[in-house]
Amino acid sequence: MFPQRRPDAMRSAFWSIAWFDFARRLKATSTWIYLVLYAVLAGLWMAGAGGALSSVAVSFGGDKILINGPYALTVAIGILGFVGITVIGSVSGRAVQQDFEAGIHQFFFSAPITKRDYFFGRLVGAWATLVMVFVGVAIGIVVGSHWPGVDPARVAASPAWQSFVRPYLFILIPNVLWLGGCFFVLAALTRQMAPVYVAGVIALVGYLFAVNLLGDMENKMLAGLIDPSGSIAVDVFTRYWSVAQKNEEQIPFAGVIIWNRLIWVAIGVAVTLLGYRAFRMESVAPTLRRRGKKKAVDDVEGAAVGTSSSHAALPAARPDRSAAAYARMLPGLARLYLGEIVKSPRFLTIVLGGVLLVAGNAATLGSLYGTNTYPLTYKVLDVVGGLFNVFVLIVTAIYTGELVWRERDAKMDDIADSMPAPTWLAFLAKFATVVALQVVLLVVVMLCSIAVQLLHGYTKLELGQYVMQLFVLQLSGDILLAVLALVVHTLIDNKYIGHFLVGIAFLVLIQLPLFGFEDRLYLYASAPGLIYSDLNGWGHFLPAVFWFRLYWFAFAALLMVLSYALWVRGREVRLPARLRIAAARMRAPAWAVAGAAAIVFVATGAWIWHNTHVVNPFVSRKEARQLQAEYEKRYRRFFGAPQPRITAVDVSVDLHPERQLARISGTLAIANKSGVPIRDVYVLYPRRARAKAIAFGAAAKLADEAPEMRWHHYVLEQPLAPGATTDFRFDLEYGAQGFANEGADPVVLGNGTFLNPGLTPETSLIPSFGYGEDGELASDRDRKEFGLEPKPRMHDLNDRQQVMQNALTRDADFVDYKAHFCTAADQLPVTSGYVVQDVTENGRRCIDYRMDTKMADIYSFVSARYAVKKDVWHGPQGDVAIEIDYHRGHEYNLERMVAGVQDALAYYTKHWGPYQHKIVRIVEFPRFSRSGGFAESFPNTVPFNEAIGFTAKVDDRDPNDIDYPYFVTAHEVAHQWWAHQEVPANVQGAEFITESLSEYGALMVLKTKYGDVKMHRFLKYELDGYLRGRGFESKQEQPLVRADGAQYVHYQKGSLELYALQDAIGEQAIDDAISAFLNRWKFVGPPYARSVDLLAEFRRVTPKQLQPLIDDLFETITLYDVRAVSAAAKKQADGSDAIELVVSARKIRADGGGNETEVPFDGEVDLGALDAHGNVVAIEKRRVQSGENRITLAVAKGGAVRAGIDPLGKLIDRDDKDNLVAVTR
Amino acid sequence: MRLEIRDLAKTYPNGVRALDRVSLTIPTGMFGLLGPNGAGKSTLMRTLATLQEADAGSARLTAMNGSGDIDVLRDKDAVRRVLGYLPQDFGVYPRVSAEDLLDHFARLKGLVDAKARREAVHALLQRVNLFAVRKQKLGGFSGGMRQRFGIAQALLCDPRLVIVDEPTAGLDPEERVRFHNLLADIASDVVVILSTHIVSDVADLCNHLAVIDAGRVLVAGEPDALVANLRGRIWRKAIGKGEVEAIKSRVRLVSTRLQAGQTVVRAYGDGAPPEPGFEPVDPELEDVYFSSIAGYVGEAVDVPAAAA
Repeated sequence: MFPQRRPDAMRSAFWSIAWFDFARRLKATSTWIYLVLYAVLAGLWMAGAGGALSSVAVSFGGDKILINGPYALTVAIGILGFVGITVIGSVSGRAVQQDFEAGIHQFFFSAPITKRDYFFGRLVGAWATLVMVFVGVAIGIVVGSHWPGVDPARVAASPAWQSFVRPYLFILIPNVLWLGGCFFVLAALTRQMAPVYVAGVIALVGYLFAVNLLGDMENKMLAGLIDPSGSIAVDVFTRYWSVAQKNEEQIPFAGVIIWNRLIWVAIGVAVTLLGYRAFRMESVAPTLRRRGKKKAVDDVEGAAVGTSSSHAALPAARPDRSAAAYARMLPGLARLYLGEIVKSPRFLTIVLGGVLLVAGNAATLGSLYGTNTYPLTYKVLDVVGGLFNVFVLIVTAIYTGELVWRERDAKMDDIADSMPAPTWLAFLAKFATVVALQVVLLVVVMLCSIAVQLLHGYTKLELGQYVMQLFVLQLSGDILLAVLALVVHTLIDNKYIGHFLVGIAFLVLIQLPLFGFEDRLYLYASAPGLIYSDLNGWGHFLPAVFWFRLYWFAFAALLMVLSYALWVRGREVRLPARLRIAAARMRAPAWAVAGAAAIVFVATGAWIWHNTHVVNPFVSRKEARQLQAEYEKRYRRFFGAPQPRITAVDVSVDLHPERQLARISGTLAIANKSGVPIRDVYVLYPRRARAKAIAFGAAAKLADEAPEMRWHHYVLEQPLAPGATTDFRFDLEYGAQGFANEGADPVVLGNGTFLNPGLTPETSLIPSFGYGEDGELASDRDRKEFGLEPKPRMHDLNDRQQVMQNALTRDADFVDYKAHFCTAADQLPVTSGYVVQDVTENGRRCIDYRMDTKMADIYSFVSARYAVKKDVWHGPQGDVAIEIDYHRGHEYNLERMVAGVQDALAYYTKHWGPYQHKIVRIVEFPRFSRSGGFAESFPNTVPFNEAIGFTAKVDDRDPNDIDYPYFVTAHEVAHQWWAHQEVPANVQGAEFITESLSEYGALMVLKTKYGDVKMHRFLKYELDGYLRGRGFESKQEQPLVRADGAQYVHYQKGSLELYALQDAIGEQAIDDAISAFLNRWKFVGPPYARSVDLLAEFRRVTPKQLQPLIDDLFETITLYDVRAVSAAAKKQADGSDAIELVVSARKIRADGGGNETEVPFDGEVDLGALDAHGNVVAIEKRRVQSGENRITLAVAKGGAVRAGIDPLGKLIDRDDKDNLVAVTR
Repeated sequence: MRLEIRDLAKTYPNGVRALDRVSLTIPTGMFGLLGPNGAGKSTLMRTLATLQEADAGSARLTAMNGSGDIDVLRDKDAVRRVLGYLPQDFGVYPRVSAEDLLDHFARLKGLVDAKARREAVHALLQRVNLFAVRKQKLGGFSGGMRQRFGIAQALLCDPRLVIVDEPTAGLDPEERVRFHNLLADIASDVVVILSTHIVSDVADLCNHLAVIDAGRVLVAGEPDALVANLRGRIWRKAIGKGEVEAIKSRVRLVSTRLQAGQTVVRAYGDGAPPEPGFEPVDPELEDVYFSSIAGYVGEAVDVPAAAA
């Protein structure tokens, strides 16, 4: 009789399958390749983050975050794990698909094993393999953290083991499990790998979509939930964590994180179980019905053939096997391949994924503070093109491999290879197909972009820009990558490893510059970046791009010849045999192509080298830092040495936009305001200036110079006596000569030139005097690399020397200004001052400007073909002209800007003091300009970025939209007071005066026009910005009085705290303080005003019991944690409500590193109630103390739905959702 | 015209000597390459079909009417132009129809003119009896139909060198007959090399053959001559089942067969019966095969150069 099956025989089938798979995987080279690669990736990441790789720019945000602390490890493991999605797909998909591919599934299905054993056995085996592979990440992290050269301050000596285990346990392994399960099910049910690829793409789409959602604050939670990788949930959860927290606290897997994990693991489990149910252990036969019919057909015919001879002689056809005949086949063959791919569901799904992603992102195009920009072509292309680029790369990688392996996968290779068709036919046809696929995708990008534009109601379709950006610039790069993929797949004898290596190759290419490999001469497929601007179009940047493309195309041609020679045809796959075949295959035409390509490569390479190393010497980022360090080491000792101060500026700017040339000359009147004679004068101007003349009014000699550090040391033969004056004449020429590694010089443009002499050392085109600290290395990490001590961002608040310097310029106080600015006849030259003369002749337009009063020594030069909008503000002391110089076509927000200027002037004049000039000019400049970010305020002139403000799309009907063109305009106008009337000292707290007051002023202007609700909404963004920024601090957070340049402090915290002060003492009082401060300090200096002077005024107007508030807001880092516990309403006799509130309050002080201590709380806080629409029905200030407080609030109006503490979010509280609770009755 | 193979050798990287100084002269007509699995037949086929490299040796297709010789190993392009190859193991694109794929191959073989191509494709499909199903997707074809498709593509464009590797393995008897008929119809001035381990295929079809094992040619020549060579040397005896092992050690066993319940052994005996009880019997080609494999006969008997 047949022996009964023993129960444990059943069980062992599961384990033996799982174990067999795992053991087999252990022996496969691909497994070890994956493991090693992940270890290397992780190691490089860690070493780079720790500073071991000197040129690596990996950072977790902020130099103080420990690279093996809980936060950093969670981020690293999360990201590295998600990058591994391809590996997860490959391993878990292949685990089951391999059986079908090899036809071996029939053995398993006919063996006495249950479906459960087979299915879960394979799945568990795949999981085990993946977990093992990802252990590689941990190994890499440990090794990388201790790599020689890693800054020990960044590495925790004994990191908590939980820091490693928790991310694995909660992020990586759940991802592996649920993704692995889904991929496995897909492969098991469809018996192909194609759907697995598609699913991988979809997961990626989900992640990118979630990333985009994060941009809007309202969607934080949603973004955290829909992100399949879980890392966005972590980001949302730790958004407001300080540096100290990120380094010490384990991330609790709670809140949005745990929900995310539960959702996705549940999805994974559901898919796996459903898949298990649907899975059938059957061998699918080709459709039996058809087969049966055919058999019948056969039989009938068969007899006939057996007996008769039905063969007439085969028609004598003359084959044409010339090269020309086969060449004519090329397009048809490519079309055949292309048609097959484009019609396949896999390709369509990938495209669909891309389109969905675009659709998801199109809604929030370029939004800032929740407000969008107009869908200008370059903007849409930025967004759409950027997203879609990933898909183009994915498609290129996948389909190059599929095409190369096409015949081998179908087992047609023997037949196809023995055909007389030449090798180059299939080779070129396949390559052409990949390129055609890229073209198809780019057409989709174009169509999607156009659709986005039309949907937004924007009809200015700039097809020329589309064609240039997509089909010339982008496609040329994509083709180069296709060649790379082709070479890899030709050389590697395994399709899946080939796919993986192509992916790695692309990744490496993109990342190499981060590792210090910046010279484009050896970065395959690289070309200088190119930013399109509506003002400047493509400008003069194209030739550089063209040369690099030609260079790399020549190299690619060589790669193509190599691929052709080593193309696999036949059964020989080993290298020696292939080399022999290659030698035979390379005949005259191939050598000719290779030869021509080599010549072009070498010739263009030489030309590029000449441009990027001789004419415009290439300086790597590391070398640039070295120069900075060297500058400090050599010349720091001259810091603070007495130097002449500029008293008057008479400058002449001769701009030739069409030639990208600028000639800047002039005379600076200088005086010795120090108490000692000056003999040595240090003159600084950029290396790329071609100095035509430098001369002093008195005799002087050049004693020493180091032009690459901008340093020129002159010695006056007769020292300049204290109080004496002389002048300084200079004549410098700037202009693009050839191109550099980063592309053509972007300073002088064909249209939209913006020269900002004071911004950075490299843009300071006008000579300055004295050792400039701005030339030093700022980052502590960089400084350590060169043996320099860390330095604070700004001088100490009580520095006696620096109080005599103003924060804007080190070599001037207030100056007279005169400029003669010439440009092309069709452009408008703009600088600070008033127009004295405007002459156009001989094809040149020259305007003479003069400032009627003394001003701070900063000014800019802008020249472009502008349209001009003129308006006026009628002030109490006279009219102020308003002029907006803008690019024709960017009329969207002119009215807003004008309104912004008018309302700002009105408010500031009324609340602070009069405006010192008679005109306000706003000038548009190109979006990529090195000279500016958003906008900057110069005396009576405000250059404004093309992409901010000018092209914003503010929807007045949308309560969530903030009118930021209006706001930024108001902010910049405020700077005319704070920075130009009142110039602060060059110490900590300077930006509290300039930036915080301006931000506060703009906030008030916004409130006046748009009301409280909008203002509070804006403040919400400010709060988020401040709390977020704290977590990325790389030195020490400072309180406002010592603000040292951290934007999250002087912008976001500044406006919050100044508003809080106003809220506490009243607008009248704060105005009183500010205008008193202004009157005392405007146009005064040296010594210059400091933040403590402003605080003194605040203290003067603040009642005694509120004095501690000044400490909280400005002198310390104070956070609050207020919470509403309960709100019980009782109806009163007169119909009003009395709401009994129980609230808890805590006050926290933090130090610079984010370490917190609780302090007693005793102050006044808003308590209030909101109705169902979120409008305030009652609000009053009441005394609140630490711990629990019971307060009764009288609400005259009805309708209170929620009540609590600080309903409008005026306090800096990391969780403002717990401020209100539902009112119970 | 003939195919001259001299001292062809190939060793795989894992050490297996697939071809060990193989020398053959193959005239026009059907040439059978007999040998067990792993003998090196497929390696030889693939090498001649330009898909593999030989380590040493030469192969030349000589005296093509009017044109010069072709060096098969080095001049791959020239070979492919006159080649028709049906591999042992091949797949098809499942979603393409027979007609379309055959047309594609015809195009690859150089039939540029659409009309001429169409005629050729149709004619061949008729020949292999797939015309009625020419529009069906190849994925639904049975094994036999796939083989017929394979031979159709091999016969495109009048090949002069036809190589068919194990063509009838897996075909039913009727399909085998059909296949043989197809091959037999191929013009007389074509070299057709047919590799198989089915001896009767060779017996029926081929006018020359060679037996190959472990990369070496054991015997070669015309079937009749080779059979005649064994006359008087093959003996048979009916024995009991259990005696086979015993008899193996005493005589040079050629083959063992079950016939109507009895075990009949054939043995080699030079001139005299190998032992008492054996009766003489007319040799068959199968005996040639087994005897060569076993090593009882050696010496390739080369066919003298026939008229080209």
